[in-house]
Amino acid sequence: MYRYFISIIFCFVVVSTFSQEPTKKIEEKNDSIVYTSPYGIRLGIDISKPIKAAIDGDYNTGLEIIADYRISKRFFIAAELGFEDETTQEDYSNSTAKGSYIRLGFNYNAYENWLDMNNEIFVGLRYGFSVFDQTLNSYSPNVNNPYFPTTPINTPVTTSLNSHWTEFMFGLKVETFKNFFIGASFSYKVLLNVKEPDNFKTLYSPGFNRIFESGTGFGFNYTLSYLIPFKKK
Amino acid sequence: MKKTIVTLLLLLMIIWSCTKDDFCTQSPVTPNLILRFYDDINRGDLKSTSGLYVWAENKDTIFINQATDSLVIPLNTASNQTIYNLSEGNVVNQFTINYTIRNEFVSRSCGFKSIYENVTFSSSSTWITDFTPTTLTSIENQNSAHVQIFH
Repeated sequence: MYRYFISIIFCFVVVSTFSQEPTKKIEEKNDSIVYTSPYGIRLGIDISKPIKAAIDGDYNTGLEIIADYRISKRFFIAAELGFEDETTQEDYSNSTAKGSYIRLGFNYNAYENWLDMNNEIFVGLRYGFSVFDQTLNSYSPNVNNPYFPTTPINTPVTTSLNSHWTEFMFGLKVETFKNFFIGASFSYKVLLNVKEPDNFKTLYSPGFNRIFESGTGFGFNYTLSYLIPFKKK
Repeated sequence: MKKTIVTLLLLLMIIWSCTKDDFCTQSPVTPNLILRFYDDINRGDLKSTSGLYVWAENKDTIFINQATDSLVIPLNTASNQTIYNLSEGNVVNQFTINYTIRNEFVSRSCGFKSIYENVTFSSSSTWITDFTPTTLTSIENQNSAHVQIFH
């Protein structure tokens, strides 16, 4: 099912990339003006997390600050720093993960801008690290027979945990006003290492989101960011 | 075009957050108690009950008019004691199980399993003449019968 969705996204990318190219070549032939693009540090926030916190009852709070720094025509050093508090409700358990994370890596802009446009369709790689507390709020034993009703055990147990992962990102950034960007990205995460609590499991890690059985995760962000230009090249 | 992609990604996010990736296929997670009925004289031979009624103390009947040599009954995870009444031919035999409970994590979807430890059995010895064993260190699974009942 996921592969199917992912494939759809990739189809769209191919379409939009190809549609721009012929126009650009014509421009280059007829014009001798050299267009420069700004280099600098770009700072922003992920607005999808506060929205998610407002509409999704299990997602308590979330904040993510994003930053990137352009080092060459196509490469950007990128980082995300965030905090999340999420409650995982399962059939037989209820747990809360709360903590901070950092993701470091780079983006490669695969989009060929024309004229002085400054947009991006990028792919990126990240290393992620998170330090958090997971609290098992309550659980009830899984008894298949309804003859004896079970009573939930409400003694919260908190464990300090951490996790490391790698992440493949795919997204876009569009300059809507001068130096102001709207972006969206999707990420696929592969868990490298996670500390598991005693007699329970790490079900959610801030920055990684839900840890699926296979040790993978998915992420999404929708960002507003502002570029502080240092120079033009 | 870009707006379409953004909308699509947002929609995907909503779909993803709702999907369930694993289902509990283990059954049962918490083990039941298995009683096996044997003949009192030829102790190697199974002997079926006739018209057996089973109910836990202060509970509704769980089995009605059973003719079986094997009985699978749940234990109360909310208590350290379960008292079963086994009635055959209007003669009630009380069978008491005492234990401590340890809850062990199995998986996200299966949750926690109760393991019964330091199990002791006692009987009011009416139609059940004997049983073995009287103690068990733990009941962790349903691979084999836990108690042999002689009648």
